[in-house]
Amino acid sequence: MGMMDIAGQIVSYTYQYFDNFGFLLLSGIGLIVIYGVMGVINMAHGELMMIGAYIAVSTFYAGVPAPLAVILGGVGAGLAGMIIERLVIRHFYNQLLSSLVVTWGVSLIISQGTLFVLGPSIMNMPTPLGSFNVGPFAFGIYRLVMFATAIGLIAGVWAIFRWTKLGTQAQATMENPTMASALGIDTRQVYTLTFGLGSALGGVAGGMFAMTATISPFFGQNYTPMAFITVVVGGGANPILGLAYAGLYLAGVQTISSNLVNEYIGYVSVMAAAFLALLVMPSGISDFFAQRRTRRMQR
Amino acid sequence: MRSFVSPLVRVVRPFTGPQTLGNSPLFWVCWLATVILLVLLPVFGSRYQIITASNFLISAILAMSLCLIWGYCGILSLGQAAFYCIGGYAYGIVAMNLIDRQGNTDLAIAAGIAAPAAFAALIGALMFYSRLKGVYVAILMLVTSLLLGLFMRQTADPSYTIGAAYLGGMNGLAPAKASDPSLPSIILGFGDMTLEFDGRGRSFYWLVVGVAISIYLGLRWIVNSSFGYVLVALREDPERTETFGYDVRLMQLAAFCLSAAIAGLAGTLYTAWGTYIHPDGFSVAANILVVIWVAVGGRKDLTAVVVSTVALNWISIELATWGEISMLMLGFILVIAILIAPEGVFTGIGAAIGRLTRRGQSGGALDIKPAPAASNMMPKRS
Repeated sequence: MGMMDIAGQIVSYTYQYFDNFGFLLLSGIGLIVIYGVMGVINMAHGELMMIGAYIAVSTFYAGVPAPLAVILGGVGAGLAGMIIERLVIRHFYNQLLSSLVVTWGVSLIISQGTLFVLGPSIMNMPTPLGSFNVGPFAFGIYRLVMFATAIGLIAGVWAIFRWTKLGTQAQATMENPTMASALGIDTRQVYTLTFGLGSALGGVAGGMFAMTATISPFFGQNYTPMAFITVVVGGGANPILGLAYAGLYLAGVQTISSNLVNEYIGYVSVMAAAFLALLVMPSGISDFFAQRRTRRMQR
Repeated sequence: MRSFVSPLVRVVRPFTGPQTLGNSPLFWVCWLATVILLVLLPVFGSRYQIITASNFLISAILAMSLCLIWGYCGILSLGQAAFYCIGGYAYGIVAMNLIDRQGNTDLAIAAGIAAPAAFAALIGALMFYSRLKGVYVAILMLVTSLLLGLFMRQTADPSYTIGAAYLGGMNGLAPAKASDPSLPSIILGFGDMTLEFDGRGRSFYWLVVGVAISIYLGLRWIVNSSFGYVLVALREDPERTETFGYDVRLMQLAAFCLSAAIAGLAGTLYTAWGTYIHPDGFSVAANILVVIWVAVGGRKDLTAVVVSTVALNWISIELATWGEISMLMLGFILVIAILIAPEGVFTGIGAAIGRLTRRGQSGGALDIKPAPAASNMMPKRS
């Protein structure tokens, strides 16, 4: 094996790792924001991604530049999310299992409704930006953009939580909703905006993914299993750190095992790794760290 | 009236209690009438109706398995169809391998029940002994089902054969070689005596009716027994149940395995019914259907779940003639039902009928007294 082959091999592993990591971050970020603030796991997340993807692709073909099309996808999905929250989710605060079932029903309505209106036709969008070569391997540049976007979105969410009024109110609501509303915070509005934000993040992710895959009414189902695992492993105590830790860990497992055996074994290993992590940290990585910190402070 | 009712009261007493709706003699008379109608259906129904009714009852068995863990034990599994399909595949694989040698499918049926139960024991031990949150259990079961489906889809490669059975990827389970037997329907055998139940025929329908009634009565007996009281206690307050000395994790695991076994039995019957099993059974659509049947009917009552499963299946078939809208409509039915009747539509109707009849017969002298459960409710120490 020549020098370039080895270099190519190393770059290949690193590239795949960041690709998988970016994939988990993008597909999970909207979900974990909602879970962290509201305790609701939004089963319709994949369908909101699908809405974002359809809007991005159709506006792209209408002549809108790709980055703007993706943002429009996010805006559309965010609005859809806020409508869903107002109509349905607000009846199910503090009923975790019921909110799971009802959002699943919503996801069925959205995906089957799209199938009914648009038919099973699939659309796609060219992957932009070309590729670069290291040794015998070619790497798409767009995947790196996706990773950078994922990091950018996480930084953005962190900034919202850290510096905006909504962020402060959301943190107070996470901590103690009754107390927060007693202090004059409109928790219902916080929930609606959070759900909208999470949905918009899903829409942006859907728009990004639309440039790498064909989209159909069931587009979202390709992304949600891994997103769910990431969120469950991450936990809701600190959504951003949880997502980052879970992504770092699971992407590592996936990269190694899918390279050593095959892609399917990669998924199964992620599942096994998730069970392993949950054996040690039953409510997720970030809850685990939060509890440890509390215990240390009490000492 | 009394002379007719009192022996009935004695017979049904083990199946009645506060954990189930339908404890009055009136209910059991209606129940008996329904059972007689079901048994007589082949006399006046068409062949198509019988085949369809078999399928409905198999669905009802699957729905009851979810009702047990979700409604009574408070464990929601969004991947209940996984157990159904594991049962179906296990039945198919064992049946195709043994049918030529043994001439019956007894062992295959046992495999169809045992395989999902064993899988549930493994995955349930991981989940309950690490005291996973309920939402996480629900989600992980769905993800497990989807990953199993993903695996089954990519088994089109000829190397995926188990003896005489070829997994077949998207084409479903098939014989490995042309000389191998195809997937058989149920053949019960004792030595040389065999009883064949062809999935398209009356005998299979009667078999399904028998199994469904047994499961229904068995589950009613279980949920009204002391074990059932513990399950309901787990649903209401796991921590308090634990302080009473029950091993919550073990109880959850037991209920989970029992539920998986029943779902596996339903999957076995389904595979024998159509002599066909396919990876789509692991899909989101298959899993959400079970949740819809149970949630719309009323997860906390077996009768409500059975009625809603049959009703919704019938609605789906009727809607199918209008085009591909049945899943969309079921989505609306689910969301609207949960918004309007969070405890379930048929539970609500059942409770209303109960109130009306009780008002009708003042005093309620004919009410069946539930089995004295309090006396055998001593906590078991572990």
